[in-house]
Order: sequence, then C-alpha cells, then structure tokens
Amino acid sequence: MPEITHPGTGSTRLRALKEQGVRSVWFLAASFATLTVFFILLFLLQDALPLFATVSPLEFLTGDTWNPTGAVPSYGIWPLIVGTLLVTLGAMVIAVPLGIGSAVCLAELAPPRVKAVAKPAIELLAGIPSVVYGFFGLIILTDWLRVAFDVPSGESWLAGSILLGVMALPTIISVSEDALNSVPASYREGSLALGATRWQTISRVLVPSALSGITAAVILGMGRAIGETMAVIMVTGNAAIIPDPITNLLSPIRTLTGTLGIEMGEVAVGSTHYHALFGVAVVLLLITLTVNLAALWIMKRIRAGYGTEEQGRHRLRVPGLQRKARLIVGIVLALLVLLILPLPAAAALLVLGAGAVLVHRRLSRANVQHLAFALLWASLGVVLAVLAVILGYIVVNGLPAITWEFLTQPPRDLGRAGGIFPAIVGTLYLVGGAILFALPIGIGAAVYLSEYTRGGRVTTAIRAGIDLLNGTPSIVFGLFGFTFLVIFLNFGVSLIAGMITLGLMILPTIIRTTEEALKSVPASVREGSLALGATRWQTIRRVVLPPAVPGILTGTILSIGRAAGETAPILFTAAVFSTRFLPNSLDDPVMALPYHLFILATTVPGAETQQYGTALVLLVLVVGIYAVAIALRHHSQKKIHW
Amino acid sequence: MKTTRTTFLAGCILALLVGAALFTGCIGNGDGPSQPPEARESISVTGSTTVLPIAQLTADLFMDTHPKTEIQVSGGGSSVGIQAVGGGTADIGMASRDLKDAEKTKFPDLVQHIVALDGIALIVHPSNTVGALTTAEVKAIYQGETTNWKEVGGPDETIVVVGRDSASGTREFFHDSVMEKEDFIATQLEKNSNGAVQQTVAQTPGAIGYVGLGYLDESVKAVNIEVNGTQVEPSVATVTSGQYPIARSLNMFTDGEPTGLTKEYLDFILSPDGQMIVEEEGFVPVQ
Amino acid sequence: MKEHDAIITVNHLNLHYGEHHALKEIEVGFARHKVTALIGPSGCGKSTLLRCLNRMNDLVENVRIEGEVRFEGTDIYAPEVDVVEIRKQIGMVFQRPNPFPKSIYENVAYGPRVHGVRDRSTLDAVVEKSLRDAALWDEVKDRLDAPAFSLSGGQQQRLCIARTLAVEPEVVLMDEPCSALDPIATAKIEALIEELKTRYTVIIVTHNMQQAARASDYTGFMYLGELVEFGDTPQVFEAPREELTERYITGRFG
Repeated sequence: MPEITHPGTGSTRLRALKEQGVRSVWFLAASFATLTVFFILLFLLQDALPLFATVSPLEFLTGDTWNPTGAVPSYGIWPLIVGTLLVTLGAMVIAVPLGIGSAVCLAELAPPRVKAVAKPAIELLAGIPSVVYGFFGLIILTDWLRVAFDVPSGESWLAGSILLGVMALPTIISVSEDALNSVPASYREGSLALGATRWQTISRVLVPSALSGITAAVILGMGRAIGETMAVIMVTGNAAIIPDPITNLLSPIRTLTGTLGIEMGEVAVGSTHYHALFGVAVVLLLITLTVNLAALWIMKRIRAGYGTEEQGRHRLRVPGLQRKARLIVGIVLALLVLLILPLPAAAALLVLGAGAVLVHRRLSRANVQHLAFALLWASLGVVLAVLAVILGYIVVNGLPAITWEFLTQPPRDLGRAGGIFPAIVGTLYLVGGAILFALPIGIGAAVYLSEYTRGGRVTTAIRAGIDLLNGTPSIVFGLFGFTFLVIFLNFGVSLIAGMITLGLMILPTIIRTTEEALKSVPASVREGSLALGATRWQTIRRVVLPPAVPGILTGTILSIGRAAGETAPILFTAAVFSTRFLPNSLDDPVMALPYHLFILATTVPGAETQQYGTALVLLVLVVGIYAVAIALRHHSQKKIHW
Repeated sequence: MKTTRTTFLAGCILALLVGAALFTGCIGNGDGPSQPPEARESISVTGSTTVLPIAQLTADLFMDTHPKTEIQVSGGGSSVGIQAVGGGTADIGMASRDLKDAEKTKFPDLVQHIVALDGIALIVHPSNTVGALTTAEVKAIYQGETTNWKEVGGPDETIVVVGRDSASGTREFFHDSVMEKEDFIATQLEKNSNGAVQQTVAQTPGAIGYVGLGYLDESVKAVNIEVNGTQVEPSVATVTSGQYPIARSLNMFTDGEPTGLTKEYLDFILSPDGQMIVEEEGFVPVQ
Repeated sequence: MKEHDAIITVNHLNLHYGEHHALKEIEVGFARHKVTALIGPSGCGKSTLLRCLNRMNDLVENVRIEGEVRFEGTDIYAPEVDVVEIRKQIGMVFQRPNPFPKSIYENVAYGPRVHGVRDRSTLDAVVEKSLRDAALWDEVKDRLDAPAFSLSGGQQQRLCIARTLAVEPEVVLMDEPCSALDPIATAKIEALIEELKTRYTVIIVTHNMQQAARASDYTGFMYLGELVEFGDTPQVFEAPREELTERYITGRFG
C-alpha cells in the first residue's frame, strides 16, 4: 500500500495535535453545562440538608402548613407544591388550546400578509419582561377579576393562571408553528389530493405529524409557567393554602417560586427557615427536571410511534392497543376535569365535548371546516388582542414619563424624580457581561455536540445537562448565584455575580439555537469539504460556521432579550436600588431596569408615572432587541437556500 | 455573496451592542463628578427595603455635601443586609427587625444603630366606614375570628385580610405586638412589600392591611386605634409621644463600632438634617 | 383533437405563475378508461397541466388560471364547485412517494375515513381491496400496523396508489410516479397501470419515453407551455406530425 503523507510528517502530527486540542476545548465547553447543573444541585442541597435535622423530609413534603415564623414554626410545603401544580395546570388549560389554535391558524390559514405581522407580534409577546406582566396583572387583571366575579379580592389562582398562560403563549405558538412548518408539503398535497378538506388535512395529517414538536412546545411553555416568579408573586395573593374546595379558582394560592421570591430576601441566613427555602428550591428544581425528562420521554415515544423516515425498520404493534390507550387518556382527562373544576362547570364542559362530537358527526364537512376555522381565527384574535391591550396600556401610561431627563439622569428622591440612566446602563452591562460569558462556552458546546459526537453516554449526559439547565427556573439561578457567588465566593452583591448568573441562565438557549443553526447546514457541505482533504476543524471553521452565523446571532439576541428582562436572577446577586454613579469595577453593584421597576412598583409610594416610564423603557429595550433578532432571521431565511 | 453580507451586517450589530454597553460606561464615568473614580471614597449600604428610603435620601443629601464620597444603597431584605455586613461585603446592613439568635451567634460583633421608628398603620379601602378598631379587634380579624366588617361596625362585606410575607420584618413585628405571637389566618393574602399591600387595599373594598406610616395617602384610609377608650390616629406625632401602640425600630448594623465614612454617614442620619428626611418620608425621628 | 368519450376536456387553458406564462392555450381531451401520457422536457408545463386537472395548483401562491377544465361536463373552476369533491373523483399520485407518518393500514384508510366511512369492517374491506388492486397486499398483509416508512420506495409508491384507489376516483393522475424508483419497482408500477385502466382513467406525466410508449394509449408532447402534439401513442412515436416532436422522441433535441 502506498504511504499517504503530506510533505513532512511533522506537520501532519502537529495538525492531528491541533485537531485534538480543538476538540478537547469544545468538549470542556460542552461539559460545563452538565457540571453547572451538578453544581447548582449540590449547592442547593448543601443548604437544604441542615433542615432535616429539625424537620423530617416526609413532614417537609407532606405537611400542610407553611408557617416558618409562627410561634410554633411549621415547614410543610404541600400547599406550595399543590399551588404550583394548580397554577401551572390552569395556565396550560388556557394556553394550550389558544396556543395551538393560533399556531395552526398562523401556519395554515393566515395569508402571508397577516402572518408577516402576526408572527413577529407574538414573538414580541415573549420579549415582555415578566415583571411588566406582573405589574399589569396586579393593576388591571386582579381588579378586573374582582369586579367580574364579584369576589372580595381578585388575587387568585385564576389570576395567576391567566397571566402565566399568556406568558407561556409565545413559546407554545412559535415552537408549534415551527413544528407545523417542518411537516413536508407532500403530506398536505397527498391528503388534499385524496379529497380531504383543508380542516381534515390539518387535523388528521398535519397536526399528528407535528405532534412531537407541538408536545415540545407545550412542555417548554409549561416549564416557563412552573419557573415563573415575579409575575406570580404580584397576582396570586400568596396565601399558603390549598384552595377549598380544591376547585375554587378564585382562592388565593402560593407557588414554590413565589415563596422563594418573597421570603428569600428577608430570611436570616443560616436559620431553619433559610434552609427550608433551599429545600423549596430543591423541590422546585426536581419538579422542573421531572417535567423535562417526561417531555423528552414522551417525544421519543411519539417519534418512535410513527416511525420516522430515518427509522427504516418497522416495529410490530398489537392492533387495538392504540385505541385502548386513547380511551384511557380520555378517561383520565375526564376525571381530571371533574376533579379540578366545580361540578356544574365540569358537567357543562363534558356536555359541550359530547355535543361537539355529535355536531361533528351531523354537520357537513364544509360546515365543520367553517366552524373549526372560525375557532382558529378566534384564538389568534384573542392572542393578538391580549398583546395589544398589554402593550397599549403600558405605552399610553408610560409615554408621559419619557423625557430627556428621565433617560439621561440618575434617579432622585427614590426614583420619584430624576431619571433611570444608571439602570439603563446597568442593564446593558449585565447583559453584555452575560453574553461575553455565555457565548464562547455556548458556541463551543454546540460545536462539540453537533460536529464531534454521534451519541454515546457522555454526550447523552451532556445533552441531559443542557436540557435540565434550560428547564431550571430563573429564581433557582438567582438562589444559586446568591449562595455560590455572593456568599461562598464572597463576591458580594456585584456586577460580576449578576453577569455570571445571567450568563448561566442564557447558556442553554445559546447552545440550543447554535446547534439548530449548525444542524441546518446540510451534511453534503461537510462531506464536500472533508472530501477535499480539509480537517474537521477547518471544515467547521470555514464551511459550517459561516452560514450558521445568522442562526447563532438570532439565538444570542433572543437570549440578550431574556437576560435584559429578568428580575429574579439579579434580585439577590447584582441589583442595587439606586446609585448616583455608574459602576467602575466588576465588584460594584448596579442598577437594572427590571429591578428598578420591581422596587418602584412595590416599595416606593408616589412614583406611578416613573413606574410606567420604566416599564416602557424596559419594554422598548427588550422588544427592540427581539425585533432585531426577528428581522435578522427573516433576512437570513430569505437569503440562504440549500 | 449575499450571505457574507448578512453575516457581516449581523456581526456589526452585535459589535455595536457590546460596544455601546462598554462605551456608555466610559462616557458615564466621564460624566460623573470630575474626580477620577479612585478618588471617591465609597461605602455600601444594603438590606431592608423598609429602611431603604431613609438610607437613599440621606445618602443623596450626604453626597451632595461630601462630593468625594459615594454611598451605594441597595435593597434585598433585612437578612441580605445582615448577611452582607456580617460577611464583610457591605459596610452597613439595614434591617427592619432585630437580630435573630442564629445571626447573633454567627455575627457576634454586629452593632445596632436605631435610625428611626416606624409606626405601623392599619389601612382599609377609602369607602370603608369603620373608623377605629381596638388591637383586640385587629387581632381577631387577622386570626380569622372576625370575617365580616359588620361585626366591627362596618358595612356588610367580607373582610379580605392582607398581610406581609412570612419573612417580612414588618409582619414579624405585627405578629409579636398585635397578634401576641398567635397564628394568622391561613387565607390572608401575602404581599412582599408595603407598596403591594397598599396597592391591594386601595383597589379592594373589603380589604384590611398594615403598612408603614410612609405609605399612607389618599388612596387608602388609615384606621384609628382605640387605646383605653380613646382613638389614636397613626401619625408621627402620636408615635413620638408614645400614644400610638404599634411602632418598631428601624436599624442599621455595622460590624464593630463604625469608623471613618461609615461613622460620618451614620452620624449624619442621626443629625437634625438626617432626621428631617426621616420625618418627611413618614417615619418617626429618634432624636 | 378532442375525443368524443372524453372524461376530462380542457379548453383555452392559460396559466401564469406571476409574470411567467406557464401554460398557453391548452386544448385537449382525456379519454375514459385509457392511459394518456404527457411527455416533454423539464419545465415544459406537463406537471403544471396535470395539477390543473384536480386543482392542486390552488395551493400555489401567485397563480392565475384562465380557461376551463371540464370533468364529466362540469367546469371544475366554476365558483360553486367543491374542490374537495373534485379531488375525491380525480386522485393523484406524486413524483416522490409521500405516505403519511401513520401505519400502512391508516394510510389506506385515510381517504375513506375523511369521506365519512366509520365502520371498521367496511374499512377493512376497502383497505384490503385497494392494497390488492395496487399489487401490494401480499407483501404487507402481515404487517398492516407497521409504519408506512418501513416500506421500500417502490412499495411506498404502490401504497400511495392504493391510498388513491381507496377513495374510488374516476381518474388517477400520476406525476412521474417512477422517477424515484429502481427499474424493478418501475416495472411493477407499469404493470399496475395496465391493470388500472380497465376501471380508471389514468393520466401520467413521465420523462421516460419508453414508459410512455409502453404504457399509454394516447400521448401528448408539450414544449414551453404549449401542447405541441397529441394523438394515439403509436402514431406520436412512429409518425409524429410535428418536427419538434420527432426531434424530442429521437433524442435530437436542442
């Protein structure tokens, strides 16, 4: 066999060494995410464990009273767990039909011109910071509920669910819409060519084909709802009780995240109460992890269920099993409905459902289609109306506050006068730092995952780590930042602590979007480069990465938006209410817009105008960033055709 | 090639963003007082959001008269303050409560400075006709024994009990002084700030809540407290005179006796100028 | 050139994609229970013409269609016509096999289901019959619940044909049904087409001139959006009237 060498074996070895080095670096970056998850869990556990010296784990989980400051303190988090689950469930009941309906409407019905406006608008909904939602919920939603239902207070389970539902909508809609768009056009043609109506095609072929993506969307939305803190604190009333009866939608309720957000700041470090709060954080983390793992499992099952094209071999299935499964799911759902809703409402719902089935059989196909399309349009309409109301409200009330002084001066008199300049700059600093921290690691991890691996245990672990990090509630990041960076590393409340905390939070988003972007580069391009004798790293750097840049940028910008709007992670790590000066080192704390709004809305009386003004500035900033991302994606989608 | 241009464009935007952030920083520093940053002596004050207004406003005034100094004030809560000053990450910790046993053991050197008193007012919706309550009646309401306003001479309306979260210093004080350490009704709405309590009471006709005197305005109605048959209005005067029964101290803690700028600043808060701010913000002066 | 017993007749059909004039003044009739082949170079409009016949072009944006297409005497582009009903009667098999991500059984049962058949035994019968008609039954009868993607390309295409037959159309349109298949699978499909014409009208677009010559009764040659020649397959292949046709058929094109 002739020996294949390049001029000088030395350079070959050097090149191999370099390849290996590059690979190792990316491997380290990828492992970072997994290590972080371990670290978070470790630190939370370490601070939670001392609790069990005084309270047994069983008592902690199943105790029905949360009263850590009572004469006889009790640390039962059962009501908080139930509260979290109920609020999330309610949010899903609202968001899932509306979200999927809107997604189908956008993907299948909306004419291009409507789509061009509606889709970005809905994505902007995702850019509204949660504290703005909370602010809106506190002032408008709870009051509306109080009047509408004639109850003493509108702060309730229902208010929390509505708000969280709205917050989960953009995620559900955009991810579902993407899933629907990725269904091959040939399925649609095939179905239509058989004489199926558009609605039959949508409901029987397109939606089932996109089911795994839609499930992912729902789970992602659910993750956002479970992990949400600031908005929940402001609207649920925070009474640590289980609604009585459990179907009482208008009962106040308290979630795990709410408990952390409210109590963490005031609790004495090292007290039993403090440890109990870390116990709460661990439980919260475990719940989100379970949801995420369940989601992964379900999606795997769905994919396996219809044997995707890659999966060439068929699996034998017992006929009729599917029917049985469907029946069981139906019964479980019906029971759940009966359990959750007050009896008359549940009965009405069931009758409605049965009626729908009957009507469906009676009506002609054309009329069924009319009805279905009307419902789809209605859901899109509702979503857009909600968006318009929230935006309109904040813009109308915030505009009068916007002056040159407001934008360029530091606050005076507790923010009742002066401006918010340091908060704007502080937010930019925090976001800039978070990106500088997360971008190299994120891109490295994505490159490793997409270019260097073909599965295996280590990769599975890394992927799981990233998924888990993605599902971690922002308040847990805040807590981790507080216990690890602020206390353990003794950074104190500082810019650097906030940057790292936010960086960790956005890391999974960057990894995910980068990986997607890399994956969308066809394998043939890589093969082409490798076939010319380019090394793997040369191929990645010269051929794979450049076309992926717009995708990576979109991900980055989306995470910038998310970081800019977050309150919970900086609450205990970086934010200061007021400084006259801008920070001159990483050790200084900074002002930040979301925190400023939070404090103005909750602690400073007589600053209403400034509240709205701050909300508007924050909104414009975040939405502006999102708009850039959306425009960029639009642009790149037009230009690149494989 | 169009793609390259997109890439380039996108890169520019990102660079601009990061650049802008850094640049604003430079400009901002230049815009500040004319001294280079190193020349400023700075201390940090952190902790209770209740004490925060006092710290912030006195700090503003102090910095106006001492241009070479910087006082950074941040919130976060009493324990954050105590933790921060005990752990050395802040010079002054603010707390609206006294030290807990755990904190005393952990940080034995902390020194307490009472900077103001805070009267806690019971507030109701402006439309509520109830004008005065005894502390026993308040306790009964917060325990859930009294559930309708008509039982205390008001309209026939369900009482919505609004309180503070279980970690709040205000709630702890209320729990000690009004509730005599007995438990609150479990269904009370828990708010994480005075402002949130005030907001909720202002828009809920049946509500009752408790807030610091600084949060009294026309949107809510303060209830007089009946002490031995005489009604006492919650105000700075009645707290100072000791007539109004529900008042607590607001504290700043230092790690050991204060020195240097920290001492100057604390002295300033306790000076007539400082205490004037305390009073303007609705708190009760201690000097 | 119109047949007397034409099931579909096309009159003055013009189609524009935006500015592009893709079909020009097409006049043709498709004979009942015969196989008609449409041939021509890529981009000549033969697929476009085929897709006009069951209004699949409705899905394309920016398309403008003038003229009429009559199916059993009814203009299928008339406003009161239900497009769904048209497609039920004029089925279509696509270039690439496009089974749904469902089981083999569900793929075939899909059509009858959407047209309101609920009875399980009826469905079973339809599925079996259609699969038999598509010459696939023996290969898949033991694994009807397997995913359709587990079949080979040729089997998938016959599954798509079975799926079309299950709706019991009058006409089956085939858009280059063998272009993604190997010669053996192609032969099977051609044999199948021969079978089908006893009960169905088949209109097939193909690149493969041998296929057109072998499998069809009539052949139309299209070029640049125009129907250049239409006639009996032997006549078109052996004695084309137009010089263009002859040059194309003999491979001396361009």
